Amino acid sequence: MSTTTTTTMHTRTHTATYLSDVIMGTIGDVLALLGIDTSRFVNEWDQDQSAIAAWINEGSLKEVVLECHRPNGTVKPVFEFPIVYSTGDGAGTGFLNSRAAWARYQAKITSVPSETGYSLFCAFFGAHSPQPGWNSGKRASTDGLRSSSFGNLAEGPHARADMRYLS
Amino acid sequence: MQRRREIASSPQRTAGEAWQVLAELVAVTLERSPSIDRSTVDTTMAAAEGAGRMLIGGGHLESSPLVVVAGQLWLEITTISGDGALTLAENLNPVPGAATADSWMVHLPAPGPLSKIVKGVAKTADHLSSDEPVAPASSKEQSKASVLNTDALATWAEEKP
Repeated sequence: MSTTTTTTMHTRTHTATYLSDVIMGTIGDVLALLGIDTSRFVNEWDQDQSAIAAWINEGSLKEVVLECHRPNGTVKPVFEFPIVYSTGDGAGTGFLNSRAAWARYQAKITSVPSETGYSLFCAFFGAHSPQPGWNSGKRASTDGLRSSSFGNLAEGPHARADMRYLS
Repeated sequence: MQRRREIASSPQRTAGEAWQVLAELVAVTLERSPSIDRSTVDTTMAAAEGAGRMLIGGGHLESSPLVVVAGQLWLEITTISGDGALTLAENLNPVPGAATADSWMVHLPAPGPLSKIVKGVAKTADHLSSDEPVAPASSKEQSKASVLNTDALATWAEEKP
């Protein structure tokens, strides 16, 4: 009897690619669901995905934040995607996501008025590499918003991405 | 002629890279027909690129295929993400069946949240559609043949002592 063993190497780059893709895909779903114009998001997809992946790969990214800016100046809802890094080498852990749960969760998201826009922010644990198209900015206050945790959105061998919904 | 192809997405590739691979597969498949202009295919797939990234990044193309209908060819393309993407044995060679096609259409899936966006994109190019493709006659015949075979099998089983 012969035995064949297949070994798949999971690198930090794999984890970064996976998490950044799931986060971008989820943000795309949110914008589409809320009827927010996605043309800028689509045009900047590669640049933003690449930046998020680079920051996850170097371990500097604390969270990605999607703010929805209403025509009256209020900012809600807000979606936060905190990144939690693993301390081990990631061996033996695969790639998982909660897209099915996310599809069900979408029923909880309240609509926004037409002409609502959006902003993307990234927060960091400390020093981080510069990435094209990203500049420093200031988040809107989330005071008065009620936070609801979706839980784990996606995970890889070296990190996971959670999601919080503030409305 | 029904065919299926799977393309690895993240973590093997980003959604943008996976769309490029998918678009190239469609192009090399359709350009086998002397009646189909490669540049028209490229332009069509470029028009769908933004929606394509969202379909792949959101995982929608894993359960709802993009369907290319060209003459006798009915090609369903899906993506695979996660661990499966790292071990997937892809076949990115031109898919047979479109060599005699003189018309073609790329049907984009329009799942839940992306429905409106996909429908909007489908209106921007003559060869894009967000409608469910109509099953080819050959697949219906294959389906009938399958029923006949099942019937024959049942008859054969009843005749067994």
